[in-house]
Order: sequence, then C-alpha cells, then structure tokens
Amino acid sequence: MSTIDVKVSAIEQVTPLVKHFTFVKEDGTVFPAFSGGSHVVISLNIGGRIHRNPYSLMGSPEDTSAYHISVRRQERSRGGSVYMHENVTVGMPFKITYPVNLFSLAKKARKHILIAGGIGITPFMSQIADLERLGADYELHYAFRAPEHGAFAERLKKTCGNKLHCYVDSLGERLDLSVLMGNQPLGTHLYVCGPNPMVVSVFEVARNFGWPENHIHSEQFLAPPIGEPFKIQLARSKKEILVPAEMSMLEAIEAAGVEADFLCRGGACGRCELQILETDGALLHNDHFLTDAEKASGKKIMPCVSRAKCERLLLDI
Amino acid sequence: MERGYWIRSKPVYTSLVWHDKATSHLLVAQGDGGMAVLKIFQLMHPKQPITVLYACNLNSKDYAKTLKKVVPEGLQILNSEEDVLLTLNNILPNMSMGMRLYVAGSEGFIWAASECAKKFGIEDTDIMKELTGTLARSVYCVHCKATTHDITTNIGKCCGCERMLFVRDHFSRRLGAYMGLMVDAESPGILPEIEEIYP
Repeated sequence: MSTIDVKVSAIEQVTPLVKHFTFVKEDGTVFPAFSGGSHVVISLNIGGRIHRNPYSLMGSPEDTSAYHISVRRQERSRGGSVYMHENVTVGMPFKITYPVNLFSLAKKARKHILIAGGIGITPFMSQIADLERLGADYELHYAFRAPEHGAFAERLKKTCGNKLHCYVDSLGERLDLSVLMGNQPLGTHLYVCGPNPMVVSVFEVARNFGWPENHIHSEQFLAPPIGEPFKIQLARSKKEILVPAEMSMLEAIEAAGVEADFLCRGGACGRCELQILETDGALLHNDHFLTDAEKASGKKIMPCVSRAKCERLLLDI
Repeated sequence: MERGYWIRSKPVYTSLVWHDKATSHLLVAQGDGGMAVLKIFQLMHPKQPITVLYACNLNSKDYAKTLKKVVPEGLQILNSEEDVLLTLNNILPNMSMGMRLYVAGSEGFIWAASECAKKFGIEDTDIMKELTGTLARSVYCVHCKATTHDITTNIGKCCGCERMLFVRDHFSRRLGAYMGLMVDAESPGILPEIEEIYP
C-alpha cells in the first residue's frame, strides 16, 4: 500500500488525555485533498514491531499544507497511543497512508445531526469545515466527561456558534436523544462517533423513532484487543503462524511477510476480510462489519480486530 | 428471457406492510393501488397518525367508497394522479423523520411519487412500494430522449422519433423508465414478433 512520508511539525497538549499532532510532508509539498470524515493509518515502530493505527483527519479539508490528528491516551491498550503521547517529538518522521473516507457526509441530506462523545469529536472537526463551507443545515451535539476534557469546545464555539450543543457529564448535563430524534425534518441524517454504549443507544433510539437505517451513520475504530495466542495457517502462502497475545492476526500475517489488504484496521471497513477454509475452534469476532449471520456462519473473519481460540484456522491467503 | 438473468437496476416491488416503528404513516395510491391500501388495513389499523391520498383512474375499479369505510383517519380522495402527487408535494414539508411512506399503483405512478419524495430527502429504498394493476412500462428512447408511457409489448413505437424500440430491463429510477433501443438498426424494417408481455 502506498504511503506518504511525513514529519511532525507541532504537538499540542489539548486536554489532560488528548494530544494534537500536526504533520507536514517530508518533501515540503502539499498533501492530497480529502473530504470531511476521512482518516489515515499511521505506522509506528514500537520496539521493532510495526503498529498501524487509524486516526481521523481533523483539519479543514481546504487546508492541504498540513494534516492534523488527535490522539487520546489509552492506558489499557497495546501501546500505540501511549507511544504517541510519550515518545513522539517534533521533527520525527512517519509513514502514513493516503486518506480514506469511511464516514462521509450524506450528500443528499437536508439536515445533518452530529453526535460526538469525547475523542469521537475528531472526524466531525473536518466534516464541520465542509458543512460550514456548503452552508448546510446542521447541529453538533458534543458530550464529554468534565470541562477540562472538552478538547475542542472553545474552537468549535467560534466555528459553529449556536449550532454547537455541549453536554458536560460532571455538571450533570445529558443529551436527551428522544427529544433530539423525535422531531427532525424529513431528510435528516444522523452521525455518531464515540464510546460504544453511546453509539448503541443512538442507533436504538433512532430505530425506535422510525428512522431508516441508511439515515444513521457511525464510525468506530476498534483497537485490536489483547487475547490468548493462537495458531493460523495460510493456505495460499503455505505458512503457519503463531498470533501472539498482543498482536492482531493482520499484524502477525504482515510480520510473516505476507501482503494482506487493509484500510481502516479497526473493524469498520471490511477491506481485510478473509475466507476461512477450515477451523477446529471458536472464532472471536470483534468487528462492526460482518452481519450477525455472517459471524455465525464461520466462513469469514476480519483479521484486523478478530481472534480465535483454536489450534487450526486455515485462511485463504 | 434467459433463465437466471437479472439486472440490478430492475426495481423490486413487494406487498405493503406497516413499519412497526414508524411515528406516522403516509400512504399514496392510484387506481388499483386502492386494493393494496385495503390489504394493508386488513393487517392492522396502526396506532400512529395516518394519511392516505387516493385517486382512481379510468382503467381501474374505484376503491374510494370502500376506503372511506376502512381508513380510520386522514383519507383524501382526489380527482387524478396529478392531484395526488401535488398534494403529496404540499404535505411532505410538514412531516418529520419517523414518517414512513407507502406507494401503490402503476410503475409510472410509483416513481413519480418517489421523485417527489426525493426532493424532501426520502430515498426510494425507504419507500414501501407495491405494483398494482398493470405491468405496463414507461420507455425512455436512448436516441431521441423522449419517454413513451404505457408500453405493454416487447417492442414499442417511440412517441418522439417513431423508431421501433426494444424494451430492455435496464431501469432508471430518476426517469421512472426502462431503456428503449432501436430494434431494427442493423436491418431496417425487419422486426421480431411483437408480443404483449407487460399487460
């Protein structure tokens, strides 16, 4: 997969847990254009092992002189975000993928409602730049834990004015989804990005108010979970690999020198889907892409986030 | 037609069934679509607010009288298909998300209603559609770009350029019409047998 050589040009501590990184291209030229909601995958070499983490681009799509991402420090994770917070300094070089948009605005929508929880605000930062430019009708509902965690509330207030609605959990402020969804004009589209319980309840309330599925959009990148080690066999490459506890199947396949397709690396896009030819164990599906029926069929797996409990898992790669 | 042959653009129509989570229901029907409305009310009279717009046409039975007895509220009997579409256009701005739209009638009517709903951000996949009365097709001439309505045969004459058009299965949702191609371009005047297949 082709990549772009970049270096860090600025780092800003936005909240106690969130850092904002600005990248420019190594060769000083401008970046490819992107649309609001796009993300890039950044490669991190942590102790000789390559981590590839997806992050939403949060700058304005009109500004291609730099790319901006924000990273929330996740303590109980495999170390990508901690590395970004503790080891990355201005001037460091990285390779990033070209931007991909799995969370684009619905072009035909007559109104947009954006719902963000915590760091879930990042894809909306670039979308808002698009919505403002288009003069579109929108509302941004931004919920966060405490005043000091409202990473971009001040900046958003300037851009969005009274279209921004903040809900600070520590002050007892709550977003009432029923009021929000009970009375919206026809042609409204809903977008949610945030912690899983928030996404689940937004979908549930929208469905209960009769909203069609294709008017509800979400983006959740999952970090590959840590699990038990297991063995996989690659049918076409004729290899057997051990997937260690802290590595995803996709990373283990890549580390074995086998080229695998991928886009989001977070269980959202479906690009890395692999066919299962044989297995003697249980599949632990963690993605948001496969339907429940597909997961139950045991024929497909998303190696970016899913795992297995088995001795044998023969994959068609 | 070749068995197993299927074109993705060809619309799929079903029987009308209530969306159980809808916050209100809007049904629009023309001609024999009146029967589809009666059928869905046989299933249930939903609790949520209901609006029904209906006009009969010359080729169909008039279901207005029965509808007046069955539909519990919000029934408007209109004089023509055009009036139904006009009324639809007038009431959609007052509707909210959660309203579900149901359309029953000829194919031309279904897609005219869908085009109207599209202006208000309703996608055709979210409209429940039942084809009633006739399989007659609207055909879009790829040569002169005229649309000829109510073609019931495999080959029909274009109302714009008078070419004889072979009626294909490729369907345009925007135009509400199937693609029509000159059938005797290679051998002028030599036509395959013309048969009624869309009665």
